[in-house]
Amino acid sequence: MASMTRSRDFHKLSLAWNVFFNLIAAIIAIACVFPFLFVTIISFTDEKTLARNGYSLFPKKWSVDAYTYLFKAGDQLLRSYGVTIFVTAVGTVISLVFISLFAYAISRKGFKYRNFFAFFAFFTMLFNGGLVPTYIVATQLLGLQNSIWALILPMAVNAFYIMIMRTFFVTMIPDAIIESGKIDGASELGIFLRLVLPLALPGLATIALFSTLGYWNDWFNALLYIDKPSLVPLQSMLMRIENSMQFILQNTNNPSLGVGILQSMPQDTSRMAMVVLATGPIVLAYPFFQRYFIQGLTVGAVKE
Amino acid sequence: MKALGRFAKDINRNKALLLMVLPATLWFLFFSYLPMIGTVISFKEYRVSQDGFLASIINSKWVGFDNFKFLFSTEDAYVITRNTLLYNAVFIIAGLVLAVALAIVLSEIANKRLAKWYQTGMFLPYFLSWVIVGYFVYSFLSFDRGMVNKIAASFGADPVQWYSDPKYWPLILIVVFLWKSIGYNSVVYLAAIMGIDKSLYEAAMIDGANKWQQIRNITLPMLTPLMTILTLLAVGRIFYADFGLFYQVPRDSGTLYTVTNVIDTYVYRGLKTTGEIGMSTAAGLYQSFVGFVLVITSNYVVRKFNKDNALF
Amino acid sequence: MSNNRKKTTITLASVLAASLALSACGSNNGGNASGSSSPAEGNSSKGAPVELSWYTIGTPQKDVDKVMQEVSKYTKEKINATVKMTMIDWGDYNQKMQVLTASGTPMDIMFTASWAFDYVQNARKGAFKPIDDLLKKEGAGIVSTLDPAFLEGSKVDGHNYGIPAYKELPSQEVWRFNKTILDADKLDISNVRSLESLEPLLKAVKEKNPDVVPFQVDKNYGPYVPYDYLIEKFPLAVKLDDTSYKVVNVLDTPEMKQALKTMHKYYTAGYIPTEAATTESSSDVMVTGKWFADKATTQPFADNLWSTSAGYPIVSTPLSDALIYNWSVMGSMQAISANSKHPEKAMEFLNLLNTDPVLRNMVDSGIEGTHFKKIDDTHMENLPESKNYDMPTFSLGNIMLTYLNPGDPENKWDEFKKYNAAGKPAVLLGFNFDMSKVSNEIAAINNAKEAYWAPLMTGTVDPDKYLPKAIEKLKAAGLDKVMAEAQSQLDAWKAANNK
Repeated sequence: MASMTRSRDFHKLSLAWNVFFNLIAAIIAIACVFPFLFVTIISFTDEKTLARNGYSLFPKKWSVDAYTYLFKAGDQLLRSYGVTIFVTAVGTVISLVFISLFAYAISRKGFKYRNFFAFFAFFTMLFNGGLVPTYIVATQLLGLQNSIWALILPMAVNAFYIMIMRTFFVTMIPDAIIESGKIDGASELGIFLRLVLPLALPGLATIALFSTLGYWNDWFNALLYIDKPSLVPLQSMLMRIENSMQFILQNTNNPSLGVGILQSMPQDTSRMAMVVLATGPIVLAYPFFQRYFIQGLTVGAVKE
Repeated sequence: MKALGRFAKDINRNKALLLMVLPATLWFLFFSYLPMIGTVISFKEYRVSQDGFLASIINSKWVGFDNFKFLFSTEDAYVITRNTLLYNAVFIIAGLVLAVALAIVLSEIANKRLAKWYQTGMFLPYFLSWVIVGYFVYSFLSFDRGMVNKIAASFGADPVQWYSDPKYWPLILIVVFLWKSIGYNSVVYLAAIMGIDKSLYEAAMIDGANKWQQIRNITLPMLTPLMTILTLLAVGRIFYADFGLFYQVPRDSGTLYTVTNVIDTYVYRGLKTTGEIGMSTAAGLYQSFVGFVLVITSNYVVRKFNKDNALF
Repeated sequence: MSNNRKKTTITLASVLAASLALSACGSNNGGNASGSSSPAEGNSSKGAPVELSWYTIGTPQKDVDKVMQEVSKYTKEKINATVKMTMIDWGDYNQKMQVLTASGTPMDIMFTASWAFDYVQNARKGAFKPIDDLLKKEGAGIVSTLDPAFLEGSKVDGHNYGIPAYKELPSQEVWRFNKTILDADKLDISNVRSLESLEPLLKAVKEKNPDVVPFQVDKNYGPYVPYDYLIEKFPLAVKLDDTSYKVVNVLDTPEMKQALKTMHKYYTAGYIPTEAATTESSSDVMVTGKWFADKATTQPFADNLWSTSAGYPIVSTPLSDALIYNWSVMGSMQAISANSKHPEKAMEFLNLLNTDPVLRNMVDSGIEGTHFKKIDDTHMENLPESKNYDMPTFSLGNIMLTYLNPGDPENKWDEFKKYNAAGKPAVLLGFNFDMSKVSNEIAAINNAKEAYWAPLMTGTVDPDKYLPKAIEKLKAAGLDKVMAEAQSQLDAWKAANNK
């Protein structure tokens, strides 16, 4: 604890600079938060008022129609939340394991095949077989159709994260630590788990955050692989409504589509309400990761 | 035989690390490398055969490089290549500078609680889809209801038809892109700054280095490997444009195409009617291939300077 | 090092090859297994019932499986087949079906149309089974029920690949008017027909109602010209009364030039919304009712439908004749998948669906007593449970068999039949342009076209200045080559069909 207060001291900015930095950060933050606030307000605006007056921070008439419309799905909405949370949690853990193991191995200078495997991973960032071949491997070879694993496995590994994580390992882990572990007779796995990981926490948190967000926001895998309503995640459910609204709107001139389909759908407001519903919970989870990015001074303390 | 023995020995010596790469390697084989066989579609006129995908590939007609022609056939080829490259170059450079600067600013702010609030705020745009961002930009730039024109009117200025005048759009698109991505991108650098050994700063303090010298001599050099890697990776995707940014945000306005048409939107518009998957696969292969050549070249250059900062 | 790398690569390659072989075996085995059961099924209606998998468009409904169980009981008895329906939401249908067909996923029946999972294109790509022979045997009921124009008009290169739903056949463009404003301003629409004839009305509305959009136009708008387009929203067309079947660039025709000039005049006069060329839909204005006129496509009783859905009265008057176009024939179809193992059964089922009121209404409205209540032979009423099974009627086959709802006009289907009988074939009915030889040019033309299309069509830009530019760009992108190709295909078709 003492070392922490000390490290605060040397890290302090002069007052003027601190104010200036705060100002910059605050302006950018507000520019980023404002739209979000706006979206929330629009989601509570009366659809007709919106159509007449356009977006406004102080709508003449408020309404919860959009939410009523979306909650009509009722238990489906709850179940979708459940699917999303499960997939996000399990998926993040799996990707952390896969990614950090791979990244650590290719970060080790003593690993004979490090360049081969680095290239092996990197190559997949650029070249991919496209939708149809991936779909065939996932469904016909791995049998993932209508399985919860179809939402987890296709996103479990990502070469981009591996490259970031490898850089973290290279820059944050001094070779001396690994050597000392070896002298103590620890196994490779032991060194990795007990000595390396604790030092790489900010990096792990970054990857965990990215993959949490990736899983949370993913709707495309569900579009491809999931037909069963009980396995449809939240974003996918909302995305289906959004896409279909868009599709029908673009085809309003089409007499076959009939006129009645759009009838009672609050379009603009429910679109915004979907953003609120989909983003709210994950924004609340964000501080959990954040302490590794901002408070991190304690990490330095641990190291001493 | 001798070589084989040596190989076995190498494998044995690297056993533990090889086991570590095994899970992700299997994943790559199944989810990336195996599907890559499908890339042959770009040289085929793909037709469905009733005996499944492999049969369809085999039975489809070879067309050589025909599927690539539409990317180069008109003067649009120049426009889309220029737009894609220039925008991405700006995104890479400006994104890098801003993300690093912001990460340093956030890490230096004394009140950590405030810093957290700022950072959470900056992250929010990441959650908005381009469709929503498109609506939002429209609420600013709409001709008769947009805020910008309303404000301009209150100063007596003439309203502007934003969605039909290309000259504003390069700037608008760059600002919107940076606004949306900056919070996300700065996280990596923030985490990296947190990982820097604090004793380095302490030593610098003892030597009498001020804040700027610390940033210049410790923080930035420690971030260089990460900056290099992320830039290299971004270069690899320089021929891929963010479809939503260039399609949804300008509301697909035809008059703006000279500055908003990029490879991805060109392919989308071009294949809407025919839906040839051979041609879309070809476009993807072309984008990947150019990116690949560029990365290999820049990686080679980076290796010349510092082997550790290179990708492989 | 490099030696080792090579070896590793070889090992990898063999792993890949092995897994590929595995996948190939996997799919082959699957094919054989279900293939071997098929002979038994073709011969008689005895033996194990066949399960038909049916993919259709629409928001997935909660009770689909429940209803399909009931449907299966019925069909098992009738044709010894059961049905498994998968619904795919409107916005996902195109993409998902493309992946499903390209990957060879086993399916039996699927929805297709000119506007969703494009019928003609996918027929040419081999996604559907040709059904000419099946129609003669298992589908005989369809042939006798359906207006022959449907099957004739939906032929692709001389073969039928799908069964159109029996519904409105021709298409007719109308001007729609917001009746409230029409009445308030005491305007008369009886003399309105051409685009030009709208002018005095628009002028009056503009003067009297400053907050109303006189002429609502969005980016999907195109003025009516007496031409039949080869591809929707693509500048190649043939004049409706042209017996020589000459393909022209529609932007280069006097009619289009005239129409675009008028549109631009209206735009400058402030009758058209400023941002029409980038407005995706008119739904906002529809909600507020602050519009006076727009263009739409009609069908019998459309005015009632429009008025109900808008919540205020809407009236319309025709601006074109009722003509049967390719796309109006292909508005809603069911096709049999090329990889179906049970095409005969699938056709038997489709035959039943299009001729048997009990089955058709079950598929459409659900289980009697649960989702709907029958009032008499031709009338029904929805029960509260119907919210769990709300299907798009037009997408599921013959709509003339469906029961009338309370409030529907008694003569609803007679009016449809009358409307259909009055329709005349458009010049290109039955001809479908094969784009595969010129797909590179089409991609380039599409990009050139989209840059100019909406601004020109909505009157946003001056045609005197932009039309020549657009035409020049289209030519540079290869329009002439596509035109020549289209002309030669059309000539061949003309010769083959003795037109």
